[in-house]
Amino acid sequence: MSATIQEIYTGVVEGDRDQVVEAVQQALNEGDSAETILKQGMMAAMGEVGRLFEEGEYFVPELLVAARAMQGGMDILRPLLVAEDVEPVGKIVIGTVKGDLHDIGKNLVSMMMQGAGFEVTDLGTDVAPEKFVDAVKTSGANLVAMSALLTTTMANMPATIAAFDQAGIRDKVKIMIGGAPVTDQFAQKIGADGYAPDANQAARLALSLIA
Amino acid sequence: MKNNLSNLSKKGLLFAALRHEEMPRIPWVPFAGVHAGSLKGYKADQVLTDKEKLIESLLEVNHQYDPDGQPVVFDLQIEAEILGCDLVWAENAPPSVATHPLASTLELPTRLPEKTDGRLPLVLDAMASMKTEVGSHTALYGLVTGPFTLASHLRGTEIFMDMFDHPEYLRGLIAYTTRVAKRVSEYYLDAGMDIIAVVDPLVSQISPKHFRNFLSEDFTGLFSFIREKGAFSSFFVCGDATKNVEAMCQTAPDCIAVDENIDMLAAKQITDQYDITLEGNIPLTTCMLFGTQQDNMKYVLDLIDAMFPGDVLPKNLIISPGCDMPYDVPVDNVVGTMQAIREPETARLMVANYQSGEIDLDQVSLPNYEQLAKPLMEVFTLDSASCPACGYMLNAATRVFTELAGSVDMVEYKITEPKNVARMHKMGVKNLPSILINGQVKFSSIIPSNRELIDALKEAIK
Repeated sequence: MSATIQEIYTGVVEGDRDQVVEAVQQALNEGDSAETILKQGMMAAMGEVGRLFEEGEYFVPELLVAARAMQGGMDILRPLLVAEDVEPVGKIVIGTVKGDLHDIGKNLVSMMMQGAGFEVTDLGTDVAPEKFVDAVKTSGANLVAMSALLTTTMANMPATIAAFDQAGIRDKVKIMIGGAPVTDQFAQKIGADGYAPDANQAARLALSLIA
Repeated sequence: MKNNLSNLSKKGLLFAALRHEEMPRIPWVPFAGVHAGSLKGYKADQVLTDKEKLIESLLEVNHQYDPDGQPVVFDLQIEAEILGCDLVWAENAPPSVATHPLASTLELPTRLPEKTDGRLPLVLDAMASMKTEVGSHTALYGLVTGPFTLASHLRGTEIFMDMFDHPEYLRGLIAYTTRVAKRVSEYYLDAGMDIIAVVDPLVSQISPKHFRNFLSEDFTGLFSFIREKGAFSSFFVCGDATKNVEAMCQTAPDCIAVDENIDMLAAKQITDQYDITLEGNIPLTTCMLFGTQQDNMKYVLDLIDAMFPGDVLPKNLIISPGCDMPYDVPVDNVVGTMQAIREPETARLMVANYQSGEIDLDQVSLPNYEQLAKPLMEVFTLDSASCPACGYMLNAATRVFTELAGSVDMVEYKITEPKNVARMHKMGVKNLPSILINGQVKFSSIIPSNRELIDALKEAIK
């Protein structure tokens, strides 16, 4: 890893957007490809951020500033990645289920997914089952992630899965769920493909589901 | 010493827990917010906006669950609504905050809630009524929104970025929301509340470093303020706040309440160092909402055994759900929880009988229900002498039995006897207390009125 890529890595881990933006520009000037910067610098850093989060060293604020720092770099890299024909590792549609407005957890998962190299379509909060289905059709996503913070809105998870069945595209996507009241047992019961207890494990689960 | 302790009232018992004294048994505080409404058939939005329905529901909680302490309203959006957040209402959950008035400004508000603002009149009236109705025997909790969570309602998720980008602004905002919490606490104390619970679920989402940097001073001031007013304080948190337990202790509340994300044994080692009472942590979803009555009893028994092995007198522990109970928690599960706390030995017998897998069903002979001379009411109870809900169920059956003067038969089966556990199995009774009529479960946990029970008996005669 070059010193500049190391600077990008450190900047993301420490949530320093200015440092990341400056170092990404410098790495490009030094001849590094956008793909190298993305994978060796930013994705590797987000992996470390996720590890620190999972181990209870990092909390929500640290994760958010790390993701913001990465976004600063991504704003520069995005057009270059398209030009280099770099494909995302997968495409994911994410949102909180119908009736649920609590999006902190969903946002963290979304950030970790981007950090893991996914193209993320974030539908926001209170997402109706049909909206999930439409977004998958439009984006060509192979993964769906939905969250619920309330025991009462959990009931809209099986309804969303049923909407994919009805649309005839259930076998085209893997569906993963999460949120405070959700459990692995519940995921199995409603026919989801997986459950993750936190944002970092969600990114790992997503990678394993499309492997 | 033991005799003096056993003379404690329910409220006195809870106060003893908060004074960190040894207790004859562990106090029980069911967090029944919107769930209270479910006991009377009211939706969450009704019970949080209609004073009469709220009071009726809270009294039913007191009647059915016989708590040592009880929150009057569990809604973390009351202050936010007053301060300009729009709410989205739900039928079976508390409302959610939909808009954050400070999301795109670094303004520091100054306005403090008046007693006439928003839903405070409803809350204060309900508190006064509950004080009159049950306050002599039940300790009452007033719940205020914690300063960090209230600040997040006002500012949105920007609040996390503020820790890095605008730390001084955030300190100012937390100082303001702490002033709000003090003002609302004062109103609740004036209305007769014994304990002020500062409910701040968002605390679990930040590091101990950020907690100490942004929250410690204001939270310490808030708990000190409550103490100076002569009341007890409790610091409620939800989520995995394991790493913050020590920092929370250092703000000096009388109690810290946690949910299932926190290991109670590990947490108690820390809270004991500060002589702070720990409260919790029956899992809301896996146990209370989706578990069986036996699951809930077993959780409580395991918790008691882990905390106080042998004959150690309990101290510095209150048993509660991990947080506000979901609306649809089965009544049986709460009744079972209460019974396991009040009568652990009876509950232990029931759970052991369930787990033994060696129940001899052959020892039970059932009547020929098709050939009965009169309708037969069979009342299955945990123990009607010690379990209030069981006593009410038995009373309901006895009243009708007396009223119908010899035209029906009645028998009680307490599951304190193993043969009655076998009978319960053989009859397919899942939850207690229950009334069966001619071998069919007709009422489970919800106590029927005379009319409902008589109608059910008439139906059986047809």
